[in-house]
Amino acid sequence: MKAARIFIAVAAAAVSASSFAGDTIKIGVPVGLSGVHSVLAPSEIQSAKLAATEINAKGGILGKKIEVVVADDGSGAVGAQKAFDSLIFDKKVDAIISSETSAARNAALPIVSRGKIPYIYATYYEGHSCNKWMYMNGWVPEQLSSAMVGYLNKTYKARKFFLIGSDYVFGRGVLKFTRDFIEKAGFEVVGDEYLPLDASDWTPIISKVRDAKPDAIISCTSAGVPNVTLGKQLKSSGLKLPYGNLALDESTAKSMGADADGVVIAGTYMTSLDTPENKKFLAAMKEQFKDKYQTPNEHSVPIYDGFYSYKAACEKAGTTDPKAVVKALGEVEITGPRGVIKMDPHNRHADLNMYLAQVQPDGSVKVVDSVMGLKPGDQCQF
Amino acid sequence: MGLVLDFATTTAILFIVTSGLMMIFGVMQIVNFAHGAILAIGGYVAFVITRVGIPSLYGCFFAFIAGFLVGALIERFVVRPLYRRPLDAILATWGLGIVIIQVIVMIFGRGVQLVESPLQGTWNILGTEYSSYRIIMIPVALCIGGVIIALLNGTRFGIKTRAVIMNENLAESLGINSGMIRFISFSIGAGLGTMAGFFITPLSSVDPYMGVAWLTNAFMLVMVSGHSFLALAGACLVFGSIQVLVSIYVNPVLGGMAISVLAAATLRIRPKGFSHD
Amino acid sequence: MTKSKISTQIPMLLCLILVVAGPFAFDTYMVNTLIKAFFFAVAAITVDLLWGYTGYLTFGQSAFFGAGAYCAGLVFTHLGFSSEYALLAGVLSVVIPGLLALFVGWLSFYHGAAPFFSCVISLVVPIVVYQLVLSGGNFTGSSSGLTGFETFDFEIESWYWIAGAIMLVAAIATDIFVKSDAGKILVAIRDNEQRCEYLGLNTYVIKTLLLGVCGALAGFAGFSYGAFSGVVAPELTGFSFGTEMIIWVALSGRGTLWGPVIGTVLITVISSYLSNSIPFVWQLILGIGFVSVIVFLPKGLLPYVIRPLSRKSSLDAPIKLEEAKIQDSSVSGHAIVMDHVTKSYGSLDVLKNITLTGDPGDLIGIIGPNGAGKTTLMRCMGDGEHRTGGSVEICGRDLGKKHPEEVVRLGLGRKFQNANIFQTLSVSECLRIARTIRERPSLVRTSKVLALPAYVLDVMKVTGIDKKLGTAAKDLSHGEQQALELSMVLALEPKVVLLDEPTAGLTLSERRSIGAIFSALAHKYRFCCLLVEHDLEFVKEIATKIVVLYHGTILMQGDVDEVVNSKLVQDIYTGTKSSARNSEAEK
Repeated sequence: MKAARIFIAVAAAAVSASSFAGDTIKIGVPVGLSGVHSVLAPSEIQSAKLAATEINAKGGILGKKIEVVVADDGSGAVGAQKAFDSLIFDKKVDAIISSETSAARNAALPIVSRGKIPYIYATYYEGHSCNKWMYMNGWVPEQLSSAMVGYLNKTYKARKFFLIGSDYVFGRGVLKFTRDFIEKAGFEVVGDEYLPLDASDWTPIISKVRDAKPDAIISCTSAGVPNVTLGKQLKSSGLKLPYGNLALDESTAKSMGADADGVVIAGTYMTSLDTPENKKFLAAMKEQFKDKYQTPNEHSVPIYDGFYSYKAACEKAGTTDPKAVVKALGEVEITGPRGVIKMDPHNRHADLNMYLAQVQPDGSVKVVDSVMGLKPGDQCQF
Repeated sequence: MGLVLDFATTTAILFIVTSGLMMIFGVMQIVNFAHGAILAIGGYVAFVITRVGIPSLYGCFFAFIAGFLVGALIERFVVRPLYRRPLDAILATWGLGIVIIQVIVMIFGRGVQLVESPLQGTWNILGTEYSSYRIIMIPVALCIGGVIIALLNGTRFGIKTRAVIMNENLAESLGINSGMIRFISFSIGAGLGTMAGFFITPLSSVDPYMGVAWLTNAFMLVMVSGHSFLALAGACLVFGSIQVLVSIYVNPVLGGMAISVLAAATLRIRPKGFSHD
Repeated sequence: MTKSKISTQIPMLLCLILVVAGPFAFDTYMVNTLIKAFFFAVAAITVDLLWGYTGYLTFGQSAFFGAGAYCAGLVFTHLGFSSEYALLAGVLSVVIPGLLALFVGWLSFYHGAAPFFSCVISLVVPIVVYQLVLSGGNFTGSSSGLTGFETFDFEIESWYWIAGAIMLVAAIATDIFVKSDAGKILVAIRDNEQRCEYLGLNTYVIKTLLLGVCGALAGFAGFSYGAFSGVVAPELTGFSFGTEMIIWVALSGRGTLWGPVIGTVLITVISSYLSNSIPFVWQLILGIGFVSVIVFLPKGLLPYVIRPLSRKSSLDAPIKLEEAKIQDSSVSGHAIVMDHVTKSYGSLDVLKNITLTGDPGDLIGIIGPNGAGKTTLMRCMGDGEHRTGGSVEICGRDLGKKHPEEVVRLGLGRKFQNANIFQTLSVSECLRIARTIRERPSLVRTSKVLALPAYVLDVMKVTGIDKKLGTAAKDLSHGEQQALELSMVLALEPKVVLLDEPTAGLTLSERRSIGAIFSALAHKYRFCCLLVEHDLEFVKEIATKIVVLYHGTILMQGDVDEVVNSKLVQDIYTGTKSSARNSEAEK
């Protein structure tokens, strides 16, 4: 089933990795095959492979085929070090495009600096991570929190918020920003609580929510298991509060079904986006992966975009030389399923369209609001 | 009232999760470290059964049978050669846990599976809205406890088992096949484990590592309780309540390790733990 | 060359070549992986010392490794990096895990602590440290750990040689220690902790100190790892990492030292190549391998790899026996006095009001039917905590609540019913451990001379075990094992010797020669011997005094003839229980 799919992907990657290096451009895609991100890994690998297939079908980059090299980062710092070491120094990849945990990214940055290759971090995160080899094309809290808090206030008249997070860089970072934003807007945070990444029993926190009587809950847990357990336990606790989840993706919502009913999610990508690029992307996904198709999401689509940004940058630079490509990455603009993606050469982040959606009783997601071209705020200075 | 319900339901869930481990430890003085993986098997049984469309009420029997069979295999091929080496048995069962988890990964994938809770919504208990599924865990725990006590005290198997617990050599010389008793107890213990996994799935997600988080707490509770199921219930109540209190009033992280630390401290002061003999 | 030398030198040479030549032979990735593997190997050495050699199964070494790593991470993140701060972090990474380990040792090891209990504590330690790190918020970086701190700016080759040197030094130092006379004590504790206590060794202090040192060493390895990788994450402190270390040690061979070193390096390297491409299969293979090794090859793989390489040969250079000078042995007054000693379990009295005295030169036979309380009586003499009432004096000093290892120092030696020896140690090693309280063993050297009191040499000569100094104790015949245990007890130079059925299972001729030895001990060397025996004939021949124990009370004590000819004893030994009970009533 799922594992078999990963095996095929991995085996294919392993086989192609052994082919002669000179003719191909290798792009490393470290993903969390194990650990908390393992739920997302299959969709991330599919995005990468689709992008590679499409690009290769049109002649590759600068006449060279690209190949995807997948590595397991164990969803954590120690695993990420192994994965990046292996990709950069053993597999000798030309660039890395990944959607990983913040812990993994932070641990990997020193290795990227040593390896001196372009690195596109292709997912949302807590912001303010800077490295001269790195670009970001996902959202940061500046873009997301404002959209979510604004929506909950507009729709539910929420003024008192309770924040729940997983205790790690991303959870704390996003919620800290959310808290500041709420307070600046003149609303109130009546409580914020964190559980470790691997915790699955939210009972004590739900009891606190009950006592604090907020108007709305905003959560920012790690994607995957914590999202599911928190959603289920909130549902079964009988608390009927508006609930905005900053880290819930569509496919998880779909599998949670009724357990996620009514949850408000936000993001730069929803499968129901009505644009020609998105329709073409979804059709190609279904065509290539058929019954193994995974719902694209906030982690996988930016990887797809990342491949095209890298292609554009190489073509603009006329070489795959890392320095030249990094410079060019800040100059190129592509249009992908999420719309126009242009990463800033100095700030290293991108202006993005944010969509708000609500989970329906059957687990499907309905877009209820959108904000176009949100700025990432000051992140980096290069 | 919310707090009292937190106490009661936490105790019940802990008891459900630990009873299988206790069954094995009580009879054989061997700690089954594959218990975490066995819980996970229960979760996947729940997953498969809801997919196939069997009403989840019957699911717990399937879970028990699956666990019983797995337990029988483990006992026969791994645990039996290690009776004289209890520390190695810990290691071997831990290794086995890794193997079982990897096999689950290969069949079902790494991802989280979701199982519909058979009982949605909340009940109003004396003015407090409380998750109905958690409340249901209380009678379930009482049932499991009742059945085990009836089994141990009211049947021939129970009498033989208690004889083996008290004095294995004597029991053997009285013609009791202690190997058989161990075999059956281990299988029942594993069956109880999968059943527990089945019951906790609606509260959490089903993933290959779902049981590991429960393992150490369950292990410590069993250590403290010696070999009495009543002591185990007491330990679950006391330590479970402390866990709830610490989690709510101090810090959920400290709450998570409250059971382990307190149980270790209890053992240091009273090596026999909660059991009175 | 001898067997033990070959089995060490080949792996040691392999490691040396690997460490020296590594950077010339491998690419950056491999070098990188090996550096980490070397630090892991140091941690694995500590697991092997504690578990493989001493028999203490620990899941907790990751806690100390992680604590050391966090010392580096926290100091460099919050204070900054400079040579002073690096030194500070280095010192902290030894001191903090060391102290933590001593504390854990205090928790885990005490008189009567079950090995199971210690194992349980070792399980809790990494969980607690892990949770503390998680709850540390921004200070510890919580689940994400600490990254991006400045650290030593060495070239990767330098790191490689530094890491390799640390590993080699740790491994060679440990190798020297475990082969030394003192190092054998670890194996003795693993083989038979009770016997160690009754040889006057304070095993729980030894284990606590050992854990302290191992904690400090693991902490330093963790510090080096953290400083090298620039990443300190909670999983380094966790329970899974602790079990991973056990897997390394178990697969390659517990108690072989170089096995775990090579095993750790190999497994880390293989998994760095395989776990990226086939993480699940690799885990599955490791898991299956681990279970099979535990069940079928508890010694691990190394011994099977090494065996074909080593020629069969005799053991190391022969040990020379010497006569030891005995300290002043005269005892004034009674050697042992028991006054109204009682032992009860709840309402059940096993011993009631036992009062007896023994003098130097006495050979007191204690007889009575099964369940009379003879072994309990011996235990009450050997362990101050055992009795529930009354008092015992040994050589004029009160027994109080003293533990066996302290009682031994009062001048008591106890020989158990079954030959209670160290199965895997050789005869000379067993005897040297018995001499520990008289002669402090070296931490680094293996002595070629074994000095023993004259009467021990006598016993060995009579029983022939002086010819088998190099033989492992488990390979001796039953009679020889009994003789070895007796020799070990006597090597303590005790004043009071407790002998619990020393002739059980011996042949008639063995029995005769051992009887002669006992007589000589009492009469020639002025020991006070207390001999528990079933065989009345045997006791009759050698004892100077006989005590008859029945249902926990002394029925009768006195001269041999007096007791042997009494109707009471005749009844017990020939008649039924009821007649004995009658005579008790008459009395």
